[in-house]
Amino acid sequence: MILLPIIALILGAAIALAIKLPAIPGVYGQYLAVACLAGFDTICGGIRAGLEDKFRTEVFITGFVSNVLIAFFIAWLGDQIYINLFLAIALVLGARIFTNLSLIRRYGLTKWQDARARKRLQAQAQNQAVIASQPEPNP
Amino acid sequence: MNPFVSRINKESWVAPVSGMCLVLGFMICMAWVTQSTRTSRQNYLPLDQRQRVNDLNVDQEAYQRVTAEVSKLQLDKTRLEKALSSHDGQSKVLNDSLQELKVFAGMTPVVGPGVVVTLRDSPKYSGTGMGSNIGVSPDATIHDVDALKVVNELIASGAEAVAVNNHRIAGNSSLRCVGTTILVNDVKIASPVVIRAIGDPNTIMGAMNMPGGVLAEIRQTDPNMVQIEAVKSQELPEFVGNTTRKYAKPPKDSK
Repeated sequence: MILLPIIALILGAAIALAIKLPAIPGVYGQYLAVACLAGFDTICGGIRAGLEDKFRTEVFITGFVSNVLIAFFIAWLGDQIYINLFLAIALVLGARIFTNLSLIRRYGLTKWQDARARKRLQAQAQNQAVIASQPEPNP
Repeated sequence: MNPFVSRINKESWVAPVSGMCLVLGFMICMAWVTQSTRTSRQNYLPLDQRQRVNDLNVDQEAYQRVTAEVSKLQLDKTRLEKALSSHDGQSKVLNDSLQELKVFAGMTPVVGPGVVVTLRDSPKYSGTGMGSNIGVSPDATIHDVDALKVVNELIASGAEAVAVNNHRIAGNSSLRCVGTTILVNDVKIASPVVIRAIGDPNTIMGAMNMPGGVLAEIRQTDPNMVQIEAVKSQELPEFVGNTTRKYAKPPKDSK
């Protein structure tokens, strides 16, 4: 299930390559790169919410669109007022991506460990049941 | 009861996340730095990052291969020109004048006596760890301008051929700084800067060591930054940079 978004990511890139859109040059390319960072952060947040059973589609989709636009806008604004807001965006989004990815890793790890523990306990219970069901040897 | 519970459906996140991933993949592809957008995007990077990006993109091995190829082809050319001229007198005269011009233009290796000037960053300030160039006087490092001035002074004092770190200075050579390194003929060189010149060693030594001259200026910061010595014989490589022209042509009415 985590594979599907990854496949979709590659597919999106493949579509962009297939229809031969030229990469965006100059400063708008820079803005778009920052917007990509925001998009990646939202995706990570979405996966994390999904694993926490808190996912809501409308929140996720509006979040994606607005985060991308806000990142684009902040980067543009920084250039209008001569402040390096690229750095601010990279810092904040970078920190959030790290947090989200580490949480996703923890959920995944816990889930896997739980599954293993359950399997072991089940096997143990089954063994005991088999032993218990065997007839007592006659004295 | 929690009003959100009814809306939350386990595993329902996969489809929307995948959809947005599709969009993100598309965006990343558009924002990717490609051959065509590299130059225009690089201008927006800070100097240190631009240098890192440059270091990644320059294939040193390929560069070495190509320059070796260029020198080999130029040698071959000279050999063929000589072979052609050995048949009769007229073409020999022509070839002699051609070879003369090639030596003048820096298109052939040259051998002769001369001097070696070594410029290095002041050792007084180096080795203070990370960010060692912060707070250090800018005079303590060798800049493109220092190398440029030395080359200029060498030519002015009678050097017939000059090479900076084995890059021959010819008609369309340039010395320029990019970040913390120097470009010679658009090739990055590493410190120390070794400038070799062919000419009369005594004259050049005298001119270079003149009080108030270029070297004296650098020595004011730290005498260890400059080292100059005369050599009996040395070989300078030929110019292997770009020699194609797009715009400059001889005027039509000239013969």
